[in-house]
Amino acid sequence: MNVVLTGIHRSFGKNKAVDGVDLQLGTGVFGLLGPNGAGKTSLLRMLATVLPPSSGEILLLGRDPRRPAGRRETRRRLGYLPQNLGYYPSFTVVEFIEYFALLKEMPSSAVPKAVATAVERVDLGAKAKAKLRTLSGGMLRRVGIAQAIVNDPGLLLLDEPTAGLDPEQRVQFRALMRSLGESATVVVSTHLVEDVGAACSEVALMSAGKLVFRGTPGELTARGEGHGVGDAPLERGYSAVLSAARS
Amino acid sequence: MSVTSMPLPRSARALRLELKRNAVPYVLPLLAAVFYFNTLRTADGFPPVWTLRASVIGDHMLFEFSAFAGGLAAWAGSREGRRKTLDLVATTSRAAWARLSTALAGTLCWLLLAFLAGVAVVYIQTALQATWGGPPLWPVFVGAAGVTAVTVIGFTCGVVFPGRFTAPLVAVGVLVLDQAGLRAALGVVGPPGTYGLLSPSNSPPVVDTGVYHYVAPDLSVVQVMFMGGIAVALFGVLGLALGLRPLALAGGLRSLPAAFARGDGWLLRAVTVVLIACGVAASWTAFALAGTARLDAAGGWQIPALHSAASDQPVPVTQSCTSSSGFQVCVHQAFSFYLDDVAAALDPVVAEIAGLPGAPARAEEVASVSGGNPVMSGISGNPPVFEFTAEHVGSMFGEFNGIPDAAAWRGGFQQGLLDAFLEGPPQLAGPVPLDAAQQAVEDVLLTAAGSQPLGASSGQTAVNGKLGAATPADISAAAQRFAALSPSARHAWLAVHLTSLRAGTITLAQIP
Repeated sequence: MNVVLTGIHRSFGKNKAVDGVDLQLGTGVFGLLGPNGAGKTSLLRMLATVLPPSSGEILLLGRDPRRPAGRRETRRRLGYLPQNLGYYPSFTVVEFIEYFALLKEMPSSAVPKAVATAVERVDLGAKAKAKLRTLSGGMLRRVGIAQAIVNDPGLLLLDEPTAGLDPEQRVQFRALMRSLGESATVVVSTHLVEDVGAACSEVALMSAGKLVFRGTPGELTARGEGHGVGDAPLERGYSAVLSAARS
Repeated sequence: MSVTSMPLPRSARALRLELKRNAVPYVLPLLAAVFYFNTLRTADGFPPVWTLRASVIGDHMLFEFSAFAGGLAAWAGSREGRRKTLDLVATTSRAAWARLSTALAGTLCWLLLAFLAGVAVVYIQTALQATWGGPPLWPVFVGAAGVTAVTVIGFTCGVVFPGRFTAPLVAVGVLVLDQAGLRAALGVVGPPGTYGLLSPSNSPPVVDTGVYHYVAPDLSVVQVMFMGGIAVALFGVLGLALGLRPLALAGGLRSLPAAFARGDGWLLRAVTVVLIACGVAASWTAFALAGTARLDAAGGWQIPALHSAASDQPVPVTQSCTSSSGFQVCVHQAFSFYLDDVAAALDPVVAEIAGLPGAPARAEEVASVSGGNPVMSGISGNPPVFEFTAEHVGSMFGEFNGIPDAAAWRGGFQQGLLDAFLEGPPQLAGPVPLDAAQQAVEDVLLTAAGSQPLGASSGQTAVNGKLGAATPADISAAAQRFAALSPSARHAWLAVHLTSLRAGTITLAQIP
């Protein structure tokens, strides 16, 4: 198991962002769904080791990130795409990805090839030397994905990865996620249920800081049969589970 | 596409990226313009004496570089906060301290490079004009320490208080601190004393500093220690910066656990604490040492705990002399660039008084400071020698200040010799007040030497009380009578009455 969470809590003042989450994840693409404020981003930030849990046990890639040595080892094999990608406008695409490859302590000799591969995987080869300030929002999103996968991560955390991508890029990216999920744990937090349906082998739904559903996309769809609202079957399953959780 | 294929170490690759994408190069043209108008033009106005020219490094160059360095470093330090990459970089395995250090190093390298390039320009300009000595290195060390300290201060401010206004605020803060006076601020910290000497910005030294006496490095050592200590301590603080940032911004002590959770392990934290302790100790030691500073015999500062007796030895004097008109004029080799000017000024006036009792047989430049006191020009010795100082020649008469009126300088310098001659030894040179008769005679001798009389028109006739009632018109009338005499008649009268004239017993009416 690449991710083992046991009784994870995280509070901000009196607000419980994550309230007793237990989760075990192996390789594959794992979708994390939930309404705004459900605690998805907080959970993702804890998995990304930038936010320590208030309580509970956490093991990432077999290591305890609360210990400096374990945290460092975990981070070497971690890829993270935050919801709002910050970037340095004066860097070129290659420089930005190289910068993060270096920060992830990849062997220096492996960096150029890894950067080139990452750039190609997000289809930004033609813009490799472009300054980030000249890129569109969708291209910047792809740069963010490239920096997340440059180190061939064992645990890849993606917060709204397809926001800003056009339909063609979205299809390509789902294929990329599936490919990455063959050898790594990919956690995708998203509002777009079609992403989950197309790319995820497993899905969880969060509400008020708790996991209220965990299963395959097909199982989530089944929950919506005869219940829920939405245009797509998965959306109906999503709304049905949420309604049940709230009631 | 192409990516870098050089097998550089990871740190070197990261540093190269920081250097390549640093903001400093964009500001270099502006910095160069400020450097030209402030530092280079000021240095150009100084005589080409190494120590004097090097003083612009602390007085001007560091001032302008500090504002830029502080602002640019704060800009670099606030990058992660401004660009909202904090979470992204926090998920990487490279220690935050190492990451910040690389960004700091990129900025510091550019700033130090620019600073050293500026020093090189000043020194090359001086080397092309100087006639003696070599470039002093301590002012460069002090300047580099100053730039480093301000850069680290600015960077730390940027890291702890990230925001778009941090950089301009730091730059303005450094300017205000410079203008309001770091010296004064330091003076407030401790009891009144010499703590202000820790500021690298000091008054320009006398023109022959480092020419006749070695400049003790004591003060420079203390300044480097003080600023280096600040830099080291704040560099250590950077190791805790990710912990300080949430404390500073919002959380207070409640954020402490989260701050430590973001830390880089006990070893790095221990190193940061050691660095902070060492930096504070160095700065505090320097502060304490500055309090013990005292003036030395050469007019500089010495700090007993650091002082080496070797620097008290006088520098072997090498003179440049000329005697083209039979009157020998000697200056220190460092000032040989004005030897011809001095000789050309003195020759005609010496010709007017040649053979008279007390008339100088030669003229010689001496040190401006001796035994901790300023040396006054005058005529002394047997045979009499007119001793003048570079400080008097330069500062008093404008030789070094770029005053384009060469005639005024010439007249002023001639007056200095005549003042000393007519007052009799030992007297002061320069525009000392003479009595009315002495003034009338001096005016005539100056006119005969080809210069404009200065004394009568400026009304400097107050004097010894006996003849103080004389008006400029009275002096002028007596001078006209005396000037009407032939040179030989004037010379003969002076030969007979010079002793009385010096004693102040000759009245205007007694002047033929």
